[in-house]
Amino acid sequence: MSIQPTPGPPPYQEPDDARRPETPEEPPGGSPQRETQSGPPSLRPARPRWRETLSLLAHNPTAAIASLVLLFIVIVAVFDDTFASEGANDISVDERLQSPSWAHPFGTDDLGRDILSRVILGASVSLKVGFFAVGFALVAGTLIGLLAGYYGKWVDDVLMRFMDMLFAFPAVLLAIAVLAVRGPGSGNTALAIGIVYTPIFARVTRASVLGVREEVYVRASRSVGASDWRLLTRHILPNAAPPIIVQTSISLAFAVLAEAALSFLGLGTQPPNPSWGLMLAEGRGYIELAWWLAFFPGMAIFLTVLCFNLLGDGLRDALDPRQRTLMAGGGK
Amino acid sequence: MFGLVHLVPGDPVRLALGTRFSQETYDALRERSGLDQPLVEQFFTWFGRALTGDLGVSFRSGETVTSQIAERLPATLTLAFASILVALLIAIPLGTVSALRPRSLVDRVATVISQFGISVPDFWMGIVLILVFAGTLGWLPSGGYVPISEDPGAWLQRLLMPALVTGVVSGSVITRFVRSSMLEALGSDHVRTAQAKGLGTRQVFTWHVLRNALLPLVTVTGVQLAYLLSGVVVVEIVFSWPGLGQLALQAVEARDYPVLQGAILLFAVVFLVINLIVDLLYTAIDPRIRR
Amino acid sequence: MNQPVLAVEDLRVRLRTPRGPADVVNGLSYTVGAGETVAVVGESGSGKSVSVLALLGLLPARVATVTGTARLQGEDLLAMSPDRLREVRGPGAGMVFQDPMTSLNPVLTIGRQLVEGIRAHGDVSKPAARARAADLLREVGLPDPDRALDRYPHELSGGMRQRVVIAIALSNSPSLLIADEATTALDVTVQAQIIDLVEKLQDEHGTGVIWITHDLGVVAGIADRVLVMYGGRCVEDGTVDDVLERPAHPYTRGLLGSLPDLAAPVGPDGEVPELTAVPGLPPPPTDLPPGCVFWPRCPVRSDPRCEDEQPPLAIVSRAAAGAGATASGTTVSGATPSGAHEGDRAHLPHRAATWCAEGTSGTGSPAVAGTSGTGSPSGGAR
Repeated sequence: MSIQPTPGPPPYQEPDDARRPETPEEPPGGSPQRETQSGPPSLRPARPRWRETLSLLAHNPTAAIASLVLLFIVIVAVFDDTFASEGANDISVDERLQSPSWAHPFGTDDLGRDILSRVILGASVSLKVGFFAVGFALVAGTLIGLLAGYYGKWVDDVLMRFMDMLFAFPAVLLAIAVLAVRGPGSGNTALAIGIVYTPIFARVTRASVLGVREEVYVRASRSVGASDWRLLTRHILPNAAPPIIVQTSISLAFAVLAEAALSFLGLGTQPPNPSWGLMLAEGRGYIELAWWLAFFPGMAIFLTVLCFNLLGDGLRDALDPRQRTLMAGGGK
Repeated sequence: MFGLVHLVPGDPVRLALGTRFSQETYDALRERSGLDQPLVEQFFTWFGRALTGDLGVSFRSGETVTSQIAERLPATLTLAFASILVALLIAIPLGTVSALRPRSLVDRVATVISQFGISVPDFWMGIVLILVFAGTLGWLPSGGYVPISEDPGAWLQRLLMPALVTGVVSGSVITRFVRSSMLEALGSDHVRTAQAKGLGTRQVFTWHVLRNALLPLVTVTGVQLAYLLSGVVVVEIVFSWPGLGQLALQAVEARDYPVLQGAILLFAVVFLVINLIVDLLYTAIDPRIRR
Repeated sequence: MNQPVLAVEDLRVRLRTPRGPADVVNGLSYTVGAGETVAVVGESGSGKSVSVLALLGLLPARVATVTGTARLQGEDLLAMSPDRLREVRGPGAGMVFQDPMTSLNPVLTIGRQLVEGIRAHGDVSKPAARARAADLLREVGLPDPDRALDRYPHELSGGMRQRVVIAIALSNSPSLLIADEATTALDVTVQAQIIDLVEKLQDEHGTGVIWITHDLGVVAGIADRVLVMYGGRCVEDGTVDDVLERPAHPYTRGLLGSLPDLAAPVGPDGEVPELTAVPGLPPPPTDLPPGCVFWPRCPVRSDPRCEDEQPPLAIVSRAAAGAGATASGTTVSGATPSGAHEGDRAHLPHRAATWCAEGTSGTGSPAVAGTSGTGSPSGGAR
């Protein structure tokens, strides 16, 4: 089941490469210095590190290519009307089920519609749903995580128990359940996926907040009487940001996948609007007759999801403080 | 102690979702049979019956929900266990090899494979497999399910493709865990102690790396198995596999709330049971948690 | 008996890192005689641990390049086949690691971990190995050794675990014991017990010991000889009395200055500069300075050559005149004939790699005296 929200610990907490045993930076037998490398920063890190992040990302060819492809997909999706030929939803019986050709690079479907155009239009639907879903999950989850992590005690208990409950539930089924209650459609799909991913953001945020809350600089600010809101927004949130950013990218991947799956099941985007999942479902019946019906939308889903995942991995490498010290910092 | 902590978050799941669907059930039931009970009372009635194994009657078919679920259970169990087998067969060797040679060609290839496996839409992969193996090559049937008791050969033929699809996806997730926990085990101090004792490479690897690295694998495998058991809805649809996921989807489409309710209750129970088993297993194999 | 247990010569370790090659150990030479304890001192990052891990081939081969020779009872560890090296680990050299919390496998019993080490080097039956394991635990002072065999590491305290690690290291009666920060993670009383234990075992078995530490208190307590490492180089070595009481290298003096009770009783003729701590950080091994490795942090800097030239390790004094007559100042290996006999120890040359040395007994090193117009008094100014 590919749409599950990466089970187990949140993906961010799996610093694959930073823990490599042969990391020469820290020779085996490596001594108390270890603490200075992996421990939380005792001073507040410099604020504008997006620039450094960007350059680290640029040095990672996979992530760089992935972001370029994504940029291309987003541009295509935004200007879908320009790229897609007109009347992509118009039926033309004369041209049905044509194999790929110059006129129709991806062929045509059972109703004679140009598949390339529909894939392009589908991009905007998929991305819209994806962005709205992750946007919802991001805002709701981050807020819940912040409150739970910052206030602790019963607030934490109540909120996180509820989140655990949602999290424990199989993702697709939860989404199906939401859609069963609210009825199918793009908007509800976005909401359903958003609800599914909220707990992950809440967990990631809460973990970061707990890590940062007792840091020297936060306690220092509190002692000079900074308000809760100011502490949250100026001190805690920026430091909790890296894992949230990584999670956003990875969740976008899964949101696109989930939207496709739900549409495939007929619960998401409704015809005649093109959505990749829906096109796959429609093409499935013609699979032996005309493979291109299902193949190209599937490729589109795959490529988009892959790029979001690769970008997420790249971001994690670039934003993980351990990785950062390894590449740019002091060491021995 | 540990087991109890894990039990707690699961219990509200059942409560909340039970409540939510009781609301719908309530509406539907009132529509159909004019029942007019307060929501809470209805929920408790349903819950009380559920405890005795009575999940109500399907709106659509008139069969009891319990019998419908029982009918679908073998297919789902078969697919889930076959998938987890495929997943482990992929993940353990692949994760181990890439952890042993990090940043090497093998590692990069393994990373790419697992990245692909995570990103590929399972239903699309299923369709492509059907196209190739059922369509073009004609080696395998494109779907359906035959109980093993009827015809083991046909059972296996039909199981192969869906198990491969879900196994690849789960396996990719597990591969990454194997790789990172193996790396962690390889880098831990006690491995150096073992080497310094003068143990052979194989002995060091088996007892001081593999043994330790596989502990977290139990948890990940459990989580994956729980997801697989709760019905890989989309893959079941693609391969016409008569499992619980298909049942749940049909229930949604038909607004057959007793069935949906029952299926969801079952998933929650499956989740709890798996968590419990994982906890017990962990206690058995990790001395640190014992007592 | 005159042959040293271990003779290391020109040991160099280079590690591949993402930021280029790092020279972590640069030309280290020393010997360890039977029953002798050599302390290797230096702050973290000075290459102490790497230098001993390299001896037993415990650095990952893909990242580390090790050159030089290290003869353990005449046999070069660095040129050995992996199989032979595996045989030597254990009976040849046992190793105790820094952190007793992590150096035992948490999921195997103590007994298993001891037994597998014993059985790896000899055809011993399981019951026999188990009996030997219990004996070892008794020897290192673990209460109720028979029951301890069936316990898991997490059931023991840190001190007890370190005893187990020592028992593992000793299980094949090694001729050399390497203790890498073996007591650093323990509290002071346990630390003293462990040190006593090692000394006792050393007396009984005649084991040579390399004791790596950054704790000068420990050094004063146990070492026969001291080797001070900085930036992967030996900057000073000699008998424990010479080095601790008449330190020659500015770095050693800095280290000693940061230790309150040793800073006071300085030899009557040598004024140790009052350095409460050595400011700054060691140079990164990827980017070592061309001259003296300590130059960037050196508070003395009395000789401009230190900036661009590497000062040789030269004899600064001979505690008891006459004995070291044959020692040549520059060749590193010839300078230490053997530390095997109690009587010889006093005659070991005291060497330091610096031009800033204040020769405590008045004479500078013969090799460098001619050219070095050391501004010796200037060191104490600040």
